Amino acid sequence: MAERTPSQTIGPFFHEALRWRDGGKVAFAERGERVVLRGRILDGAGDPVGDAMVETWQLSPAGATPAGAARASNPHGFARVETAKDGTFRIETLMPGGEAPFLDVAIFARGLLKALRTRVYLAPEARARTDPQLGPLAQSPRLKTLVAEPAGPSEYRWEVRLQGGDETVFFAF
Amino acid sequence: MNDMTRPVLDPPYFYPDYRSTTLRAPKLPLIELPADALDIPGPLVPRAFVHAKENDLTAHGKGAPLGEKMVLAGRLLDDAGRPIRDALVEIWQANASGRYDHPGDTHDAPLDPNFKGIGRAVTDAEGWYRFVTVKPGSYPWQNHPFAWRPQHIHFSLLGNAPVQRLITQMYFPGDPLLAIDPVFNSVPERAARSRMVSTLHLETGIEGIALGYRFDIVLAGAKSTPLGI
Repeated sequence: MAERTPSQTIGPFFHEALRWRDGGKVAFAERGERVVLRGRILDGAGDPVGDAMVETWQLSPAGATPAGAARASNPHGFARVETAKDGTFRIETLMPGGEAPFLDVAIFARGLLKALRTRVYLAPEARARTDPQLGPLAQSPRLKTLVAEPAGPSEYRWEVRLQGGDETVFFAF
Repeated sequence: MNDMTRPVLDPPYFYPDYRSTTLRAPKLPLIELPADALDIPGPLVPRAFVHAKENDLTAHGKGAPLGEKMVLAGRLLDDAGRPIRDALVEIWQANASGRYDHPGDTHDAPLDPNFKGIGRAVTDAEGWYRFVTVKPGSYPWQNHPFAWRPQHIHFSLLGNAPVQRLITQMYFPGDPLLAIDPVFNSVPERAARSRMVSTLHLETGIEGIALGYRFDIVLAGAKSTPLGI
């Protein structure tokens, strides 16, 4: 057995090192329904978190583990974006398969000594509540923090609150 | 996760000595999901995603960067001691004067036109990575009066499953600033902190040219092993 290496903050100076070309346009081996997620991250004072990095991971449109990418393509099924000064980010992807489609989300930022893990459902709240993985959370009023709002054709909006009364649900890992 | 006898590995989200945690740390309890909910294999990083030369941070300019040249090499392992191959390792660091080539860094230390401080590598079949760089300088920050960060290199690891995603910092042995650095000391256990400190290892270097450091990194074990690419 080996002992794990602890987490440390990403700090404020990661941008150029971790920036990928088309990091916000998720590649897949197959076709599917194009969707755009527009997100915004706010801190405990309601101020935008303008120096975060957001990564998403998801099932393919067919509901399978994304296949390996060819040549120098970005890894399939995976997005990496920075937040802008106003705390917003944009991810263009394909709708994941399954009854209650969601993106697995990791948030990194200065002031976060460890990533925050959460998920965002691209489905109505009633359908998200049918996800058997959620356990007791399926009945909780807090589940709505994980549900994106439809905002026009093929577009969803999602607000992440790191702290406060309407704090987003984050997962232990 | 609920086993209280398990040693605490990572820092808490709220750590007042590191001021920036104050408004960013969640205050409500974290929610437990089934372990396999976060363990879908992948993402799979194609080997060609990274060019072979991206691991030499001293070769990005017209000339050699200033500072103490060093080779930094190590293995990426899971917690059963198995190598994690085809993992993406991305690093970033200040130059030898303690200045990042980043618009947000206002420290009054010179930029080095021959040093960007950015490198990438993919681990080989035995989990090895290797970088050629210069030793980063310490630098002041705004956390508290007279605050300086110890010398460090930022590491981002993207293994073969979401549980193998880690961002951390690598420190240098014998740095006197480690004892008073709130970011380093946010990791509660001394043994765990020591696993973020590299080891001087002369044979890892290049004789007559570069000093050598070893830094092995251990990530969680993935339940499922992805197919090779």
